[in-house]
Amino acid sequence: MRFGLFIVGAIVALAQQRNFVSCPIVRDTKTVPCFLAEYDGETYFLGIQQDITNDFHPPQLKHEVLVEGAVAQGPRVCGGIPLKPVSISVLKEVNLACNTLLPAEPGIEAPPAPRGAGPSSRSSKAGAAPRSPLSGRQEFTVLYAFNDDYLEFGANQVVTEAVAYAKRIGASNVKVTGYRATTILSNGERLIEKAGLGEKRAQNIATLLRGLGVSGVAVEWRNEAERGDGQTDPSRRRVTILVTP
Amino acid sequence: MRRPFLVVVVFGIALTLSAQYQDRFKITWIEPGSGAILPELDAFDSVEGTLGVVNASGPVNTEGHPFFTPLGTNGRACVNCHQPTYGMSVSVEGLLERWRLTDGKDPVFAEFDGSNCPGLPQDQQSSHSLLLKRGLFRIPLPWPPRNADGSPKPVEFTIEVVRDPTGCNTSREYGLKSADPTISVYRRPRPAANLKYVTSGGQPIVLKTGTLADVDPETGKPVGMNLMSDAREPSLKTQALSAIMGHEEARVTPSREQLEKIVEYESQVYVAQAAHIFGGPLAVPGGPAGLGPIALRDHRAGILGDNDYDPVFGQFNSWKGNDYYHASVARGADIFMFRQFWLRDAAHINSIGLGNPLKRTCATCHNAQMTGQDLSAGWVDVGTTNYPTWTEPSTWADSSELPVFKITCVRDADPHPYLGRVIYTTDPGRALISGRCIDVGSIVMQQLRGLAARAPYFANGSAKTLREVVDFYDRRFDMKLSDQEKEDLINFLGVL
Repeated sequence: MRFGLFIVGAIVALAQQRNFVSCPIVRDTKTVPCFLAEYDGETYFLGIQQDITNDFHPPQLKHEVLVEGAVAQGPRVCGGIPLKPVSISVLKEVNLACNTLLPAEPGIEAPPAPRGAGPSSRSSKAGAAPRSPLSGRQEFTVLYAFNDDYLEFGANQVVTEAVAYAKRIGASNVKVTGYRATTILSNGERLIEKAGLGEKRAQNIATLLRGLGVSGVAVEWRNEAERGDGQTDPSRRRVTILVTP
Repeated sequence: MRRPFLVVVVFGIALTLSAQYQDRFKITWIEPGSGAILPELDAFDSVEGTLGVVNASGPVNTEGHPFFTPLGTNGRACVNCHQPTYGMSVSVEGLLERWRLTDGKDPVFAEFDGSNCPGLPQDQQSSHSLLLKRGLFRIPLPWPPRNADGSPKPVEFTIEVVRDPTGCNTSREYGLKSADPTISVYRRPRPAANLKYVTSGGQPIVLKTGTLADVDPETGKPVGMNLMSDAREPSLKTQALSAIMGHEEARVTPSREQLEKIVEYESQVYVAQAAHIFGGPLAVPGGPAGLGPIALRDHRAGILGDNDYDPVFGQFNSWKGNDYYHASVARGADIFMFRQFWLRDAAHINSIGLGNPLKRTCATCHNAQMTGQDLSAGWVDVGTTNYPTWTEPSTWADSSELPVFKITCVRDADPHPYLGRVIYTTDPGRALISGRCIDVGSIVMQQLRGLAARAPYFANGSAKTLREVVDFYDRRFDMKLSDQEKEDLINFLGVL
């Protein structure tokens, strides 16, 4: 019975999942622009312009985007069905066909933006709740966009936390493991991250750790791409940092 | 300077300046080894009015001072290219005057990098055309780039010389195929002033690349990487050493004391526009708090501007409703900070997680308080050097003076985010140091202070006036600025 419910739940979740590659669409509004994408005849709302401290990093015109998100309940946003959570991966190669910028229209509004147009010393991200101090063996996970080894702001913060922890406890061993992964698109197609990416990610993180004063860093990586499930694929594009006291 | 009318006007204005600047007005080119006392508060003629210079540590005796004394073999000192008169840089106007007064013998025109290429007939102005027309010095850089230990760095692209007006990049002796493969690019000297701002902001991990920041070899601490147009030197001391061994052609390494004295001097000089020919003194009670060199001396470095309550160059509201000029400056400040446009296809801005395009303002990138640099490591491909947005003519022109390189990125490297794997450029910028394809054409943005005294602008000296700077951005980002908005922006930039 439980297994049956699990299967049903998985099917429902997959039905709500939208994994696709397409050109992004940028729509101006009275406030900040919205980022959208079309798939299978429908328009999806991905997010709004914020700043780099936010978890949502918008796609880019001149590039296709890999969207991996779940359909959220509620009304359309900026003319699109909202996907939340949503993972955005800007594909590296330039695609000049991705160039749709729409003007603002009455009645199409972006959700409230926490910050204006100029520089701001205030992050758009709400302050994180204080955490109790870490202790013992800890694993830190650095996540990446598809086929990418660029350390986005949030990932940068994870590395910084791992460094601080390893130094605080005088870690005896720090094991860095790099992975590459597979994404299953909603149309059944499989996208596999390029060979060697797990090693590159791991070596990059190890270089950062050593450069920031962490000793005893061991590096390993998986050559094989991790299998995808169409739902949690972004969580497997990663490097883990296992810090042992 | 042969500007009798302007000099008379400016002199008249100078006499009306606040007491701190009275009796200080003069026009001065400091020659190496000439010996003089530089006052604590100084003022110099500039096109727009008066440039103020503050020596925060008090009067400076240049006699025997290593910043003002030739330490190499070509007669140059640091001051040759970093003149207080020209905002601690050097202007084309000043260089032309030096050519006239010295018949081209001033050491600033040294064959090594003050001419388009060594080996050219040095007595001819045409051999120094990039310096005399654009204020550009030759920067010879090894290819491939090297690590600190001299080993070659891995590189992600090949480089070919497509066009070589100076002859240096195809030279058998100095070029890319010489025994010591070298790329010559041509760049403006950056102002050696307000440096506590320029050197602030070091973070362990560079936001734009996710890689380790360079560290100061003496302290081991990460540096801001905003000092040079390609961020190749981590500290003022390493920059001074490199400049002495290169620009001054020294055979003997300068002493630690000499380097420290140079850094000590540079670190206490503040320059900014102090008065305007139409606006009078700029740093006055009740006016914008960020104007004038004393404000730079007293303000804290490393602060991100916040438009809502603490803008990049302070509030200009008190000038709104004033006379035409002050009101125009205040409008220009608002344009700089609030006028939105689509900021697009700028590598290391749009490509770092902010999205492309981005509806923001000038102050999004020029965000550091008091100088308008980027608070993080500030290399950006804003489009000045890469085709087709480059500042050179977009179609063939015999008058084009800069070399053109073809960059071809390897397949497994990340391509340039908006230009792909084949890029034509007049200066690969940061990529000549990092070897990375994504960095091609990225130049570290520079401070916006003392602008009126040190034309031309951009690292490649392509904008003869502030109008041309504004025009470039207007074209590049399709800002659709009106003539009035352009005038306001120019007036605003002119008071910085």
